[in-house]
Amino acid sequence: MALNRKIAYIDLSTGKIEIKPIPLEVRRKFLGGRGLDAYLLYNHTKQGCDPLGPDNTLMVSGGILTATLASATSRCHVMAKSPLGGMLGSANMGGFFTPELAWAGFHHLVIKGKADKPVYLWIHNGKIEIRDAKNIWGKTVTDTQWAIREELGDDDIKSLVIGPAGENLVRYANVMTGIKNSGGRTGMGAVMGSKNLKAIAARGTMDIKIAYPKEALEYNKRFIDQITSAKVNQTQGTLGTPFIWGATNSWGGVRTRNFQYNQMLYADEIEPESIDENAIKTIGPYHMTGCFGCQVHCRAQYKIPTGPYAGIYDEGPEYTSQGGMSSEPDIPGLENLLVCNHLVDQWGVDNLEIGSIISWAMELYELGILTDKETEGLDLRFGNAEAFQEMLERICFRKGWLGNVLAEGGIIASEKIGKNSFDYLIQVKGVSNLHSDERATPALALNIATASRGSDHLRSRPAIDLYHLPVDVMRRIYSSPVPYDGPLSSEHTEYIGKPWQVFWHENCYMGVDCLGICKYHTTFLGATLPNFEDWSRVLYYNTGLELTPREIWDVAERSNMMERLFNLREGLTRNDLKKGDMLNHRYFDEPARRGALDVVGKVIDRKKFEKMIDELYEYKGLDQNGVPKPETLKRLGVDKEPSHLL
Amino acid sequence: MVNEKEGLSTAESLRKTRTYGQVRCHNPSCMGRLEPKSGEPTVKCPMCHMEWRVAWVKEGFPRIRGPVWDVNKRLAEEEFGRKMKEVKKDGPK
Repeated sequence: MALNRKIAYIDLSTGKIEIKPIPLEVRRKFLGGRGLDAYLLYNHTKQGCDPLGPDNTLMVSGGILTATLASATSRCHVMAKSPLGGMLGSANMGGFFTPELAWAGFHHLVIKGKADKPVYLWIHNGKIEIRDAKNIWGKTVTDTQWAIREELGDDDIKSLVIGPAGENLVRYANVMTGIKNSGGRTGMGAVMGSKNLKAIAARGTMDIKIAYPKEALEYNKRFIDQITSAKVNQTQGTLGTPFIWGATNSWGGVRTRNFQYNQMLYADEIEPESIDENAIKTIGPYHMTGCFGCQVHCRAQYKIPTGPYAGIYDEGPEYTSQGGMSSEPDIPGLENLLVCNHLVDQWGVDNLEIGSIISWAMELYELGILTDKETEGLDLRFGNAEAFQEMLERICFRKGWLGNVLAEGGIIASEKIGKNSFDYLIQVKGVSNLHSDERATPALALNIATASRGSDHLRSRPAIDLYHLPVDVMRRIYSSPVPYDGPLSSEHTEYIGKPWQVFWHENCYMGVDCLGICKYHTTFLGATLPNFEDWSRVLYYNTGLELTPREIWDVAERSNMMERLFNLREGLTRNDLKKGDMLNHRYFDEPARRGALDVVGKVIDRKKFEKMIDELYEYKGLDQNGVPKPETLKRLGVDKEPSHLL
Repeated sequence: MVNEKEGLSTAESLRKTRTYGQVRCHNPSCMGRLEPKSGEPTVKCPMCHMEWRVAWVKEGFPRIRGPVWDVNKRLAEEEFGRKMKEVKKDGPK
């Protein structure tokens, strides 16, 4: 059954491989996926280790429900200390890899040390081999996967790989699988590269026993109905994630020209319907596809319609590519978006981070902080598609002074560039902000400031706060499974009640990350999508593990605390602009200039913002410095960490 | 255990609160419910006067595609000018 999937410890320095069961006691505390990875990271990584050195430990996992009869359980989680911010590194992606890993017998891999030459792991039906990767090192993301299939003689092998960016230790390189499934943010691809680990290939035919198969199937029908009947998922299944960018840009929540504006004007060419029209034209009407076991099908397939890359196939673009490649650098053309999306997929780099970093450099260039000397003659002004694509290549292959410096990530780059370049860098904990602009949405600003892996929308963003839900509907959602009778507000420009919403979503998203379910199947973008109550049922029917909704909440809260403990151990302090829960001064000082009438002129009120952080800390059981109180650690059962149960 | 789990969850029970055929104005404190006529490419909010282009996910399922650029850009510029004058007059709050 799902509960008998194993954990493997792989030391690349010595070649030693150890396989162990995962005790039920540990499952009940952390379930699997990101939660258990957070526990393993805290227990297996030395404080202050070099993120690109052999002492960093890399975790790869599926959730506890991976490859069961539950829907959308394809998520793969990767965790290590981040080479980008020096704090928590965490990446999550869909695709088909983790079900294959589970069928091969494993839910968790713990990878230590460094191989003395490029290698890849071959995992098949309970066995793990370390193999020479000399024939695949240097290849792009998709070429690597096909080369492994050819070498091992099995077209059904699924691989987790790095591209040239990971090999070149670009500090925001991705781990990738399939054509565009990206374990992005925080540079987990660079950690793989630093270990000389090019890929992890899996193929398995080991059955997974379901605890109550009839009930699991019956319940999954309900689950699927819940998923597919949601308006948000019907839109996703038609337009993919670009619909989010389109909606956000229309009211003025998209940062443009780095952070100078909050809306990309006349962006018709890259609106979701335009992207969809190209997909219909180049692929056909049935161009939407999906990950393992998912009914949403949010991923478009397309071909580049024009220019030197015309005819090349790829998938996406996701709304993060629209942000990173189009609105942040203010480049309106569809061709640029589709080409850049293809290049980052092939080279294996974070579209958000690289787009943000180049847009930041563009602002520095226009301000004269960077000059033609540093750009080596490249005209790095906003709107220049050619220059943007050239910088993508220079960074991924570390070409030239600026390419090499920007490959180090924003904080190190700002130290090398000097002057007041750091003032313009839109980041938290070393991680560039998503392309969104939160000056009109305090709840979302609180989310990015306090997210455990740095500025990020997938850790605690109360996205449904934007829907103006009636307070009684909000009350029903936010007072379960833990009672809450505090204030709530339907106004997303308000500060009232937002800390509780952020706290609730932080636990909700950790919950799905432990189960291995996609966030589009939970209360992220749709108020009627499943959460704790639904998960309790699906977990029981599939695994036999009986946890109440409240107990799943506790697992999530405990796992979030493990991430907090790791960050504190690595130097998190509340107001530190590089390692703390704090936003760039521009959020407080520069009013939003575009968008809907009630967005125009908005800044984040610093006093109210700090009060929100106080309140959030209180809910999380932290003191005013953001450090957990002893009674909180005891309540969550993590007061004796590291406990080395695994 | 299995029988205990048959009732509707909160998320399931919220389904009846969904509305179809309508979109909300994207102006945050307006958020008025707009009901574009079937197939119409634009809709104007009667409350705040912002105008939106409409796309149809399918029949009876509209969504806001984006602003009517010239109209909403002008409104935003006027509003920004007005608010900045207020800030200048009253000082930062």
